Order: sequence, then structure tokens, then C-alpha cells
Amino acid sequence: MPGALYKSAAIVGAAEANQIGFLKEPVTALQLHIEAIKNLSDQTGIPISRIDGVFSTGWTTELCEHLGIKPKYIDTTAVGGCSFELHVHHAMAAIHAGIIDVALISHGENGHSAGQLGGRGVSNYARGAGDLSPAHEMTMAYGLNSAPSNYAHAMVRHMHRYGTVREDYAHIAKVTRDWATLNPRAAMYSKDKHPFGGPITVQQVEESRLITWPLTILHCCMVTDHGGAVFVVSPKVAASLHTPPVWIAGAGESMGHGTMMEMDDFTKTSARLSAEAAYTMAGLGPADMEMAQVYDSFTITAAITVEMLGLAKPGEGHLFWKEGRAAPGGDFPINTNGGGLSFNHSGMYGMPLLIEAYRQLSGTAEDGVNGDPGKQTSARTCVVNGTGGSLSATGTLVLLADD
Amino acid sequence: MSYDLPIPRQGTHTKPFWDGTREGKLMLPRCQDCNRVHWYPRHICPNCHSTNLEWIEGSGEGRVHTYAVQHLVFGPWKEQAPFVTAYIDLNEGDRMLTVLRGVDPNKPEEIRIGARVRVEFEQANDDTFIPYWRVVED
Repeated sequence: MPGALYKSAAIVGAAEANQIGFLKEPVTALQLHIEAIKNLSDQTGIPISRIDGVFSTGWTTELCEHLGIKPKYIDTTAVGGCSFELHVHHAMAAIHAGIIDVALISHGENGHSAGQLGGRGVSNYARGAGDLSPAHEMTMAYGLNSAPSNYAHAMVRHMHRYGTVREDYAHIAKVTRDWATLNPRAAMYSKDKHPFGGPITVQQVEESRLITWPLTILHCCMVTDHGGAVFVVSPKVAASLHTPPVWIAGAGESMGHGTMMEMDDFTKTSARLSAEAAYTMAGLGPADMEMAQVYDSFTITAAITVEMLGLAKPGEGHLFWKEGRAAPGGDFPINTNGGGLSFNHSGMYGMPLLIEAYRQLSGTAEDGVNGDPGKQTSARTCVVNGTGGSLSATGTLVLLADD
Repeated sequence: MSYDLPIPRQGTHTKPFWDGTREGKLMLPRCQDCNRVHWYPRHICPNCHSTNLEWIEGSGEGRVHTYAVQHLVFGPWKEQAPFVTAYIDLNEGDRMLTVLRGVDPNKPEEIRIGARVRVEFEQANDDTFIPYWRVVED
């Protein structure tokens, strides 16, 4: 009996870059990609704008940004020369699942030219076009070399557009710290655990050291060590386990850009699109959500994200924290572990989001200690949103507690 | 040469841009099919996916779209801190990153989104001039 993916997808065209072989004029990997994609589009009559899934070993956001497309399925599986066969398999699954219709699988590698061009990153295996990327070439001169150095530009534009002030966002840091003080595992749980741990005030957030104006250090996430893992299994396997299941009702992904220079609107992220996909898959909407776990790399990230998830009107995201709704005891808990701001943030915070969402919805979020009330909430639904890069790409999940 | 900040490695298809900077011109890529200017330079028009591209001389004028003041800085720019970075809306369309000149990094509230800016070029080495943008009077 055929498997679920049997004849579920077909390859409908194949093309190469304009010139291949031992080229006299050296080319970049990016150029080889683009030529092949253009030729494939011409051959099949499928416009590049029609592509909705992109699979490549390179840094796929850079490839998509260069093409000016914003796919809803993004795959950078890079396991060596066979990666493209894996991409076909992944694309079939995505198509079978009804997520996408047109998958682009793309390859560009200048194994010969790289020797002439020198430098790093030009072979484009599992990385971007490096220092020969035109995006890099036109941005590297200007001293932006950290996440806050980029994100601050979005905060300034967000304040300009909505008439907010920095203190509005400081409430996010204060309230998120309040959650951390209920979580003994949080890095900033207490003064005993860390010299700067324990409760903080909005004024302290405002007066802490400037990193990139307007971001003070307490508007920024930490950089810690963290490891985590989750299992995702079939309903049948889930039924055989003693651990409670948390159901994935919806999932979606999207991207806006790679470099911030290409961010169309500094007050919006692709979470608007990834959330729409996740809600649609789940048959639920923002009004059905009872809590949220959102990537809070910076206070501004959390504020924009709840706006994009449809939980707040544009420009009003910070009110969740300022009015106490997101706080311990509030009606809409957010980042109940203490977030990237005060729990842990090792560089990529997507995994702690998943772990805390699982714990909350499975009723296993740790209780407090020493008579503290603990961080377990009564929420039965949770929207999770991870943000990657420079407010670049997003993944949204709608999770449900077991009935 | 006293320029000790990062100098871009010039790519394989951006020569007209760098050639222009040596003559004080801001060269921009434009699509001959949809007539739209895009930035940064592409191998393909990101708007209509034509590869029928040309270079035009831009006005070198624009407006501040957003900005930030860099205080905690790593690498060669560390000695320059605090300094103001900004994204510039080009008069021809699309957006460019810069270190903004003609503003006081210690008075960030006085920098104005929408302020008029003009490009200038600083020589970094024998064949590289780096564009910077400066706030000018309205």
C-alpha cells in the first residue's frame, strides 16, 4: 500500500545557471542561484512571485530577500551533497499537507570561482553569500554588529508612528522580571542567584546603561547558556505515553527580509502572516488564545509581536504589560518563565518558548518555592511566536491543552 | 591613509556603483521593465523579476526613515561611539543604511525622522569611497 506521499507532488522543470564549468569571469554562488532560478521560471512559465516554498542549503532568507519573495515554507536543510534529495522529500510533505503549491529547490556553488575570488563564504554551503553578498557589501561599513544595534531602529520608528515613549516598553522588562522571580530556574530569579537578579522597577529599566539608544541594557535579553529539547509524536504514540500531550493545532511561518535595510515597515514583522497561517490551520483566532509565549529579544520585539499576533491593536502591544494583563495574576499571561529578558537567552530563544508553552499547557510549570505562588497558570490555549534574524523571519504555533 | 573603519570588499557586479563614488555620484540600479530603483544591487529586479537592469545617477538626496545611537560597539567602530546610524529613504525609492552626519549623538531626541539628507563620499583607500549621509537644512 502506497505511503501518504505517493504521487503527492511532481518535478515540473529543471534549469541551470547561464554558464557553468570552469568560468573565466568568476561568479558568486548567489549569482549562480539567481540565474538558474530565472531560467527555471522562464522554462516553466511559473513566475518567481508564485514560489511559496524555498529549499536551499544556503542561508535561505538571503536568497529569498534577493529575489524579493516572502515564502511561507522555508527550509535550509544542509547535510552535504544529498541535501537536495532531502529537500524534495520535505517539499512533498509540505505540498501534501496543503501548506504550499510551488516549491523552489535551488543550488548555487562556485567551487571553481571561489579560488579566484578568495575570501570566505563564497562556496555557499550552509551559509550566506558572505562578504561577496551585495547586501553585506552595502551595509558592513557602518558599524552595526550586534542585535541591539539593529533592533533599536525599529523601536524608534515604532515610537514615532504611534506616539509612544520608551517608558511604555520598559513595563515589558519589569513585568517579565516579575515572572522570573516566580521561577527558580530563571537566571534573574533573585539577588542570591545573580547580583542583578530579583525584582526591578520601570525606573531602573529606564536608567540602566545605554546599549543602543533608545535601548538600555534592561530592554535587552541576556546572553546565557541554555539547552533544551522537545518530542513531537503521532497521536497514536501520544496515547501510549504517561506524559500529558499538548496538541499542535496550528503552525505557520514566513519572513520579511534578511537584512534590516530590506524591512519594508519597521513597525511590523512577518508574524502577521505566520500567525494567520497558524490560526487558519487551527480554526481559531487571537480571541481564543489565553496566553502567549513570544520571543522577547528586546522589549520592542515583544510589543510588536503581540500586535502582529492580533492580540493587540497596532501601537498598543505594550499595554498588555503596562496595564498588568501579562503579569502574574493577570488575565493574559505572557512569557511566564521570565522570557529571554530574565529567564534565559542563549542566542536562539525558540526552544525555551516551546518548553514553557508545553509546561504551562500540560500543568507542569514549576510551582514557586518558599511560599511564592508559582508561575503555573490556568490557560488552556497558547500562541507561541519565535522571531529570528533582525526581525526577519517568524514561526507561529497554536497549542492546546489536552481535553 | 587614515581611514581605519571597515572597508567593503567590492563585489562582482557592483562596479558601476563604486566607480560612481569616485566621481561623487550615487549610482543606483533601476529595472528597465518596471522602472523601479532598488537597493541593494541585485542580479534580478526584486519587484518584477526582470533581469533587464541598468544603472542611473541618483540625486544623492533623501530623508531619514529611522535612526538609533550606537553606544555599546564592538570592532573598529568602537572608538567612534556614540554615533548615529540611520536608514535613509532615497528620493528615487528604496532605502540605504548609513552612519548619519550633522547630528548630535548625545541629543537623540533632536534628530528628526523625515529630516532631509544629502550623500557625501569619504575616501577609504585608493579605490574605495564610502557613502555617508548628512542632515541638511530643509
